[in-house]
Amino acid sequence: MADSGGGSLWARYKRADSTLIAFSLIGSTLVILSFLALATITLTQLADLPFLIKVATDTRVINSILLTFGAGLTVVFILLLFGTPLAYVLARTHSRVNSLVEALIDIPLVLPHTVAGIMVYLLFMQRGLLGAPFKEIGIVFEDAFPGIVVAMLFVSIPFYVNTVREGFQKVPVHIENVARTLGATRFRAFILIVLPLSARQILNGSVLAWGRAISEFAAVIMIAYYPMIVSTLIYYRFTTGGLRESSAIAFLMILASFSIFLVLRIATRYLGRYDDRV
Amino acid sequence: MIAFDHVSIALGDFTLEDISFTVKKGEYFFIIGPSGAGKTILLEAIAGLHVPDQGRILLAGKDVSMIPPEQRGVGLVYQDYSLFPHMTVEKNIAFGLKMHHLPLPEIKNTVEGLLSRFGIEHLRSRATLTLSGGEMQRVALARALAIDPDVLLLDEPLSALDPGMKEHFIHVLKDIHQENGLTIIQVSHDRHEILSLGTRMALVMDGCLEQEGSVRQVYAAPASRRVAGFIGYENVIDGVVVSSRDGECLIDVSGVILRTSCTIPEGRKVTFCIGADEIVVHPIEAQVAGDENAVRGVVTAVSQAGYLTRVRIDAGITFSAVMVREAADTMALKVGSPVLFTIRKTAIRIIGQ
Repeated sequence: MADSGGGSLWARYKRADSTLIAFSLIGSTLVILSFLALATITLTQLADLPFLIKVATDTRVINSILLTFGAGLTVVFILLLFGTPLAYVLARTHSRVNSLVEALIDIPLVLPHTVAGIMVYLLFMQRGLLGAPFKEIGIVFEDAFPGIVVAMLFVSIPFYVNTVREGFQKVPVHIENVARTLGATRFRAFILIVLPLSARQILNGSVLAWGRAISEFAAVIMIAYYPMIVSTLIYYRFTTGGLRESSAIAFLMILASFSIFLVLRIATRYLGRYDDRV
Repeated sequence: MIAFDHVSIALGDFTLEDISFTVKKGEYFFIIGPSGAGKTILLEAIAGLHVPDQGRILLAGKDVSMIPPEQRGVGLVYQDYSLFPHMTVEKNIAFGLKMHHLPLPEIKNTVEGLLSRFGIEHLRSRATLTLSGGEMQRVALARALAIDPDVLLLDEPLSALDPGMKEHFIHVLKDIHQENGLTIIQVSHDRHEILSLGTRMALVMDGCLEQEGSVRQVYAAPASRRVAGFIGYENVIDGVVVSSRDGECLIDVSGVILRTSCTIPEGRKVTFCIGADEIVVHPIEAQVAGDENAVRGVVTAVSQAGYLTRVRIDAGITFSAVMVREAADTMALKVGSPVLFTIRKTAIRIIGQ
């Protein structure tokens, strides 16, 4: 109401909600923090444009960014395939097993990422419970693309599954029930009713999981230091080449991630929005 | 047509216990009961959405307990209509036909027919969330009828409509029932709907079947005190039979003697109910016919309920009566007014008989 216009400044001030003002002031601390961080790195990079361009055209940097995004996409693809059915089961059943499964899924949320990395490494190393049989069919995780993917996957699962589960829960069971009485099998009702109605949540879950995946560092380097994902590369350059080089890569990563998120948001503005009344 | 044979279903903390009843082909059957009694679960079980833990559900004499909803040919309309929000009105109605893989021209024909039958042609391309309650109701009915179901299940379909709309839809439902010879099972709270539409009814309370019978039967002889209370009898009274002769007995209620037809032996305790509209209030000096029960009492409360006036009268025990407002005004009823009231013999319905 404070900004509803009209009247003098004094009148506006008198109408303003003191709680909202106080909260805004307190909350802005965080916004300022983010803004300053962004501004600092942007300004330093723009001040040294030729160097930034040199780093941006470095094939190792480009490859690393592509590798990171590619691995993130692979993770999203795996999650769509395996996480979606899991989310549906969790959303639609009410067994005691569910809370156990949900707790298991959430484990990466409450663990230091190095711990997650060790868990993934132990499982997927060449002598590991899953690493060994995969090695038989020629898939090795240590210092290889599959290793990056499993590490990223492990830490992204809760972001995808929880978001999509909430989306499925928001689709009223009644709607699904009606579809079934009208002749749709449960699977068709899922495909034709539940899926389109939770498209937005599936997208949100995918974006969250992708963001989480590409930002993973600790878990990834445990099993796959090479090929270097961006986080590894930045850390490596930081320890060898210093701040100048690593912050240039960091800035490029910011640009790339930002543009992808922006494009995604704009492209999917209307996806799955049926409840906005005309 | 539909039979529940000792069906028990447990869902979380809730259980339906040992439910048996039958609905014959072409009946308009009502399931009534308080909120949380399990009425919706009962409907969903008919639709195949819950598998019984015990017992069998029979459709047309065939055990369908294990048959999934998509193969039962049962239409379902929920209270919230549950339209598909991502489809237009037209696509909602066509959904069932598409699921049954009917040829496109036939789907188009059926949908056109239903759109015009319910007078909603102009809504065909509308998104369902932009419709009014009455419009949603029409679309939901059209969608359920599109698959030409043997049974139509209605879960409190009229409760969200305003009174005028409600009256209109009672006629719509009556027409659907008569034209298609459809078996309809409807969950309701509303006495008016039941008396306007129902042929038979079942009363469910706390997951158990309390009574099943024709609407007339249930209203004439409620099986228990709580059935009587639930279906709207405001006077549920305990008494003792003090005389029983030639199919007629006298019941003593705290000193008031009421005469009714019954064959219950002397000395037996009975509970009976009387509708508030069956107690007729007269001025204290009025003369009344000899074979009606006439009781004197004092008004203890007068309140307005729409066009009606609700009166509580103390005659040793308290009776509730309703009368048209005009009559109450003419008699200038107020707290403390002495009155005479009459109750026909047939209005006294012994519970559990």
